Amino acid sequence: MTTWRWPTANGLPPPAVLSIGVSITAILALSAPFLDINSTTLIHAPEHLLAFLSHFMTRPDWDWLGILAIKLSETVEMALLGTLVAALISIPLGFLAARNSSPHPIISHFVRACLSFVRAFPEMMWALVFVAAVGLGVLPGVAAIALVTVGFLGKFLAESLEAVPDSALEGVIAHGARPMQVRAFALLPHAWPDFVSILFVVFEHNVRAATVLGLVGAGGIGYDMTMAMRLFQFDRLLLIILAIWVLVTVLDRLSDALRQRII
Amino acid sequence: MVQPHLIQTQLPEPPPRPFPIWPLCVFLGVIGIWSTAHHLSIDFQALLWGVGDMAEYIGRFGRPEIANFPRIAKLMAETLAMAVWGTAMALILALILAPLAARNLSPHPVLYRAARELLNGLRALPDLLFASIFVAALGLGPLPGVLAIGLHSAGFLGKVLAEILERVDSDTYDAVRATGASFPQLVMWAGWPSALQEAIGYTIFIIDRNVRVAAILGLVGAGGIGMELTVAFRLFQYDRAAGLILVVLIVIASIDYISDWARRRVR
Repeated sequence: MTTWRWPTANGLPPPAVLSIGVSITAILALSAPFLDINSTTLIHAPEHLLAFLSHFMTRPDWDWLGILAIKLSETVEMALLGTLVAALISIPLGFLAARNSSPHPIISHFVRACLSFVRAFPEMMWALVFVAAVGLGVLPGVAAIALVTVGFLGKFLAESLEAVPDSALEGVIAHGARPMQVRAFALLPHAWPDFVSILFVVFEHNVRAATVLGLVGAGGIGYDMTMAMRLFQFDRLLLIILAIWVLVTVLDRLSDALRQRII
Repeated sequence: MVQPHLIQTQLPEPPPRPFPIWPLCVFLGVIGIWSTAHHLSIDFQALLWGVGDMAEYIGRFGRPEIANFPRIAKLMAETLAMAVWGTAMALILALILAPLAARNLSPHPVLYRAARELLNGLRALPDLLFASIFVAALGLGPLPGVLAIGLHSAGFLGKVLAEILERVDSDTYDAVRATGASFPQLVMWAGWPSALQEAIGYTIFIIDRNVRVAAILGLVGAGGIGMELTVAFRLFQYDRAAGLILVVLIVIASIDYISDWARRRVR
């Protein structure tokens, strides 16, 4: 048995590590009362969980597979549409927000503020607003996804435009390029590969978001998931959970492979 | 004296004309949007018509009610506590799983595969799905929320930590291995010290993200300010909802700012 000691002179953890450990423990201890998690609920939690999970030991509702496939493809299409629309909108916004390509600093600050406001709320919150405005269906889901994605992609594009070295700009300006040409031939080509590769990550994130947006009636498989949960149709719920898991895993692998090919 | 215009100069070949690829991508994007929208039978006109409704709807939130501020503050504290506890749980899970899921550290290929697949599985299922399962099993309250946040972000954190561990210079591992270190010692003395900086930066990012998630988990009854918000929405109490949203917005924005600052400090 090897004795565990820190490789310091006295064998005690260094003060930095100790203080981090102590402060984390203190924060956890201080915040515990807000959660009203007491020992009795914690002790009974595993058995409740096991009892609930045992419901899943059932024959999946295979007849429902056809509808499931339609719903899944609807979910993926929502995410795809949201991502594409957001990508198109975020390109001009990114240029307006980046300090080195914005026509005026005030515009840059204004666009940045708008982007961070849009990003502050999760998709779910926007979906609630859009459902209230345009009714149930796929459209509010797509709009919510697109809005949050515009916030994220716009900020990302602005940051990668700002990271373009000045030498690239000067080289193109020295050829007598007009301001729009500088943006098209110096700024955009530099930022483009990063932008495309982040699109895959964002798409994957949006698929995951689209699977739960149905909870508030914004289309996709989430609606069926809530219904199955409420009606205790565990044979369907099992299929839905498995399908979401497979879908996200496959997309994850695909986007990894594609990104490695592009970069 | 030779006249300057008589000197024959051989100019180099001009470089090929730049061919920007992005117009093609934009074109493909528009085609993709059009065909998908057609398939989903979405007409964006509805969105245009909805703009008026949306403005009217958002206008209803014009008078945020913060008279019951102590209650909102308590709920917000519960939300933050959920995020902190969830992140702590995720961190513990990730610290155990990440070394097993790092290709150059993992003691056995089977263990590596298993840890990787487990992390992928945790990441694949959305946190609201975890939350609704835990709510159904354990009842309403913050506990299911903490578990959902913890499990889902453990998948994220574990994958990223494993990747950070894989990026550590192999010489570092070899040097510690040469002293006869066992697997836990290797992780403790070579892995984490080299990965610490990046790991802390990413953990801060995860806390930031988890606060946002904790704010909406209440939608399925998993505690936090989202539960109150859903009730306010259902009862059409716009003033109350606006007060809650205002507090969430302020807290999220300030945490965003703090985490940006902290991550820059760490780097």
